[in-house]
Amino acid sequence: MPPAPSTSRSRLEGGLLAAAGLALLLYALWPWLPLPGRAARPRTVVFYGFSILGEALNDDVLPEFARRWRQTTGEPVEFITSFAGSGTVTNQIALGVPAQLALLSLELDAERLAAAGVIAPGSWRRLPHGGVVNRTPFVLVVRRGNPKNIHDFSDLARPGVRVVHPDPMTSGGANWALLAEYGAAARRHPGREKEAGFEALRGVWRHVVAQAASARAARTQFENGFGDVLVTYEQDVLGDAAKGKLPGEIVYPPSTVLSEHTLVVIDKKIPAPDRPLIRALVQFLWSEPAQRLFVRRGFRSVDERLNADNPAFGRIQDPFRVANFGGWDRVKKEIVDGIWKDRVMKEIGK
Amino acid sequence: MIGRRHGAGLPVGMLVLVLLPLILMPIAAVFVFAFGGGPGEFLKALRTEDAQFALRFSLLIAFLTAAINAVLGTWAAYVLAKHRFRGERPLAIAINLPVAIPTVVVGTSLLLLWGPIGLFGKLLEPLGLQPMFTPAGVLLAHLFVTFPYMLGSVKPLLDELEVTYEEASYTLGAGRWQTFRYVILPALKGGLFSGTLLTFAHSLGEFGATVMVSGNLRLRTQTAPLYIFAQFEAGKVAQANAVAAVLAALSFVIFFFLLRYSGKERL
Amino acid sequence: MSIRLDQLAKSFDSLRVVKTTSLEVEDSELFVLLGASGSGKSTILRLIAGLSAPDSGRIWLHGRDVTDLQPQERGIGFVFQNYSIFRHMSVAENIEFPLKIRKVSRSKREERREQLLDLVGLGGLGNRYAHQLSGGQQQRVALARALVHEPSVLLLDEPFGALDVKIRGQLRRNLKEIQRQLRVTAILVTHDQEEAFELADRVGLMERGELLEVGEPEALYAHPRTLFGATFLGAGTVLVGRAKNGAAKLGSLSLPIPPEVEHEEDARVRVLVRPEQVALSAGAAGAAGDEPPEGNLLGHGTIVEQSFLGALRRVRVRLPAIPGTRQASPAVYGEESLLMDAVIPAGEDPGGFEVWVSLKGWHILAPPRPRLLACDFPGEGSPAPFSLLRGFEGSLNARVSLLSVTDKVDRVAALRASQTERAASHGLPDAEPVVRKGDPVDEIAAEQVQSLYDFLVLSMPEKGQGEILPGVLSALSTPLLAVQGEPDSFSRILICTAVGEPGKADVRVGGWLARRLGAEVTLLHVLVDGGGPAPWVKAHLDAGLATLRGLEVTSRTVLRPARAAVQGILDEAKEGGHDLIVLGRHAASRSGGRVRRHDFSFEILAGSGKSVLIVPPGQ
Repeated sequence: MPPAPSTSRSRLEGGLLAAAGLALLLYALWPWLPLPGRAARPRTVVFYGFSILGEALNDDVLPEFARRWRQTTGEPVEFITSFAGSGTVTNQIALGVPAQLALLSLELDAERLAAAGVIAPGSWRRLPHGGVVNRTPFVLVVRRGNPKNIHDFSDLARPGVRVVHPDPMTSGGANWALLAEYGAAARRHPGREKEAGFEALRGVWRHVVAQAASARAARTQFENGFGDVLVTYEQDVLGDAAKGKLPGEIVYPPSTVLSEHTLVVIDKKIPAPDRPLIRALVQFLWSEPAQRLFVRRGFRSVDERLNADNPAFGRIQDPFRVANFGGWDRVKKEIVDGIWKDRVMKEIGK
Repeated sequence: MIGRRHGAGLPVGMLVLVLLPLILMPIAAVFVFAFGGGPGEFLKALRTEDAQFALRFSLLIAFLTAAINAVLGTWAAYVLAKHRFRGERPLAIAINLPVAIPTVVVGTSLLLLWGPIGLFGKLLEPLGLQPMFTPAGVLLAHLFVTFPYMLGSVKPLLDELEVTYEEASYTLGAGRWQTFRYVILPALKGGLFSGTLLTFAHSLGEFGATVMVSGNLRLRTQTAPLYIFAQFEAGKVAQANAVAAVLAALSFVIFFFLLRYSGKERL
Repeated sequence: MSIRLDQLAKSFDSLRVVKTTSLEVEDSELFVLLGASGSGKSTILRLIAGLSAPDSGRIWLHGRDVTDLQPQERGIGFVFQNYSIFRHMSVAENIEFPLKIRKVSRSKREERREQLLDLVGLGGLGNRYAHQLSGGQQQRVALARALVHEPSVLLLDEPFGALDVKIRGQLRRNLKEIQRQLRVTAILVTHDQEEAFELADRVGLMERGELLEVGEPEALYAHPRTLFGATFLGAGTVLVGRAKNGAAKLGSLSLPIPPEVEHEEDARVRVLVRPEQVALSAGAAGAAGDEPPEGNLLGHGTIVEQSFLGALRRVRVRLPAIPGTRQASPAVYGEESLLMDAVIPAGEDPGGFEVWVSLKGWHILAPPRPRLLACDFPGEGSPAPFSLLRGFEGSLNARVSLLSVTDKVDRVAALRASQTERAASHGLPDAEPVVRKGDPVDEIAAEQVQSLYDFLVLSMPEKGQGEILPGVLSALSTPLLAVQGEPDSFSRILICTAVGEPGKADVRVGGWLARRLGAEVTLLHVLVDGGGPAPWVKAHLDAGLATLRGLEVTSRTVLRPARAAVQGILDEAKEGGHDLIVLGRHAASRSGGRVRRHDFSFEILAGSGKSVLIVPPGQ
């Protein structure tokens, strides 16, 4: 027969449990408790960004802006940020997350937002530098000592090379990577660009062993030991490479694309009183101090003069931009969809 | 009981061998990684603003979810157990459905209903009401996903409770509320307790629906599991593991109490 | 008066769990409702407690009408069969519960709780929980808890049902003592006759929702009115004989019928003999020196079974068939011999296997009250003939049930309530409403089979034959009284033997009615073929006349030539001024189960404009 429920031992346990629960609740509520000496909640800005921007924005650029804003206006400002693959961020914003600013990894996503009615078409082009905040080239990361002897995108087509690549369906970076792989081949074979590009993509994608949702996730996979080579942003690996924490080394292909990161301002999510704040923030992003912060974090500035600040930037013989291939509209239609999706992926059956 | 004494070694060993990589080792790995950099690193990883917010926010949502569903679930169980009506079975199945639906689907459906482009959301948006991507949206998703746990813990007890207990209370002079308060509720104590703990635990660990409806906003809607995932994706395994270890420890404590009491309160 | 139930009735769907029941229980009385499971006794208890609501009728507790009050407002104590001790409360908390609800101060609660624990003999067990108590102890806790708030009425639903036989006796005595001591009015429900007798000041016997008999245990045991009462309340044999010259004839034995028992000459009479009223004396029939004993000798039989009951020995004797006597209870199948039970002191020897059986005592049961099922379909132009029913209630001592039928489920309850009022407003407050849902014809047929009635009463609409009559006739199992006009009784009855065999069911039913109503009977045979009556006709008419005379009914026979039987009947009814025509009905007049429109009965009904009693065969 079980003991009556009111023995002293179970009472003690019940008391302990209640105390533990209460302590947890108190802990959870702590920041919201109306204790004296607490400042009012600051103004908030909701900033979405694609994956590799996380640290540069969270740790350097945004706190610097908050400091300056407080200096000039005396007002605290708090940033609520969310970072994911550019495609994911774009989808979330289209679904209605309360993002006010978003830094996307390719202009195509900005156009998708315009098509969804979230922002005015082409509104980002009215910003400085056509909305491009910074750039970074696409590079290869190989295992230490480069055991597979990889120096260019064309080397990825060699048998036995295993490639970790972000997924072009969700990752903006992956689209840039496609353009890099295609463009490098196309520029080397003037006159038969399309065929050369197709063969290059086919060669690379035969060897893709892991597709991650974002450039960041792809890198995490590579670091966890997947594959022989990772296609990714220079910026993403630069910092760790400098600190010697990168489990591999950076290989600069002779010819590669400089990805350009576009800022969009979602006006309808910005209440009128916050407009000056947002305007100031947007201006700040292209200001010299902010651009220098980006350079320090491994992004190449839109202001070429500042790029000398970062000695780690590798040399690229033949850098090119999306404009060289007619802009993202054409690249998307002809290369990403027309060649990669419809021909390469069908042929290799992925 | 011959087999128990003599032949136990082999089957038990096999079981442990199978369970080890399946269940035990992954859990151990979380703690190993969390404390890999020493307790100082562990605490530092926990002390960041984001980690603190995520833990607090998760706990708050879990407390609220458990409290609200304790009331809602008990009420639903009472109605289902005491009334016989047409469509009772379909309703009971529908109420238990959240257990069977993948949580991501729950999140999607909530988004399609309450989101800015959803059926209700479209109507609410002009009014400035926007439950999705806010803490309210997260709470809504958690209420939805964990609802059946309360019901499942309380309803069997109510079904077991003979109707004469209630009637005896009436004949002794108690009204409806007094009967509920003094006779029915105490009889449900064990179920309420385990149901609340289950709800709390599930809410604490909820991921699928939360990731859909929260917008994953740091310092606003990022729950602990979302934080873990975001940190892991960003390659900050240590940060992720620190919070993961805290969550795992909390779950162990809850699980311990569940085991300790669920068998006992029934008498 | 502590408890008064006034015309209480309760149905679940079409099942009448409690038929219209009235009862009064005196102050400080311990009243026991006794009946088999499903007899409705517990339902009555739940109605009094307010745990379920009656369809009609009122409940008064100490002069207060509590019918519409919630259970908690009625000031009752209720002991459930499963005790329903709250498991999460200790014994003390359980007992204090009613006081806590009533906001009695803590010290008063504790004092009162101790008193009750002592009263039920559980002193010192206050800290226990239900699972730490035996069944008997739980029952005492339930009793203490039901009494602690000093209720005006204590209700106990099979309180000893779940207990060992051994401790039941002890607890019964305790209960009785406590009830005496507190002088609380109590109703206890049980299926155990022994328990009822031991506890009750008065016993109410229930069967199929009906409170059949009420009385003190001794009176009920010795002088039950009904066959059910006779058999349910203890062992005994019920023999059926015939009434002759004011005595019940069982073979050669004549037992005088007491004047208060209504009886008819030559009618069947039921005699109850309890085992202790049977005397046995050893002796072989016809053997020299074995003279039959003096006085009330029933017959000679052989002992077939003996069982030892402790102080007593039960002896079962088989008697060979006795002319004009049969056994109604205990049922004997497939043989005509009788089985009589006797009890003798265990130490005595009946003295051989062959014994003389004589009666030391007996009880003659009252004839059952006739039951009428009257169809009340005002919507179809066929309301119940209330004037006739009122007359019958008086002259036949009949019990009237009013049947109405609806095809809508949700109307049943409302209809039942309005039916009660309607009956009362027509001077039939005791009529029992019967509401069924479905098709009228089917439901009339079903109701006849489910409850046994002596007459089915249906008034004919003014126009036409009535849509339902053919259907009713095709499934008739009870004599049907088709009423035309608004009679309140019948004084001249015409029994037609023109078709079918006379002198059987139609004559007996018609004659019985005539005797009860004090009516004259004309026994008619129509000569259709011309010429004199066949010899068998005369024989049958004489037999019929003998039956009627036996019933002490003024009667005559008429032989009437006519071209057609129907014409002969109609002419005779008109000339003779008859107000009721009785027609026999037999299998031949049915056709494929459905009754033809030009059925004999319709022609008589339409042609005469008088009421017609249609008697199915086998009555």
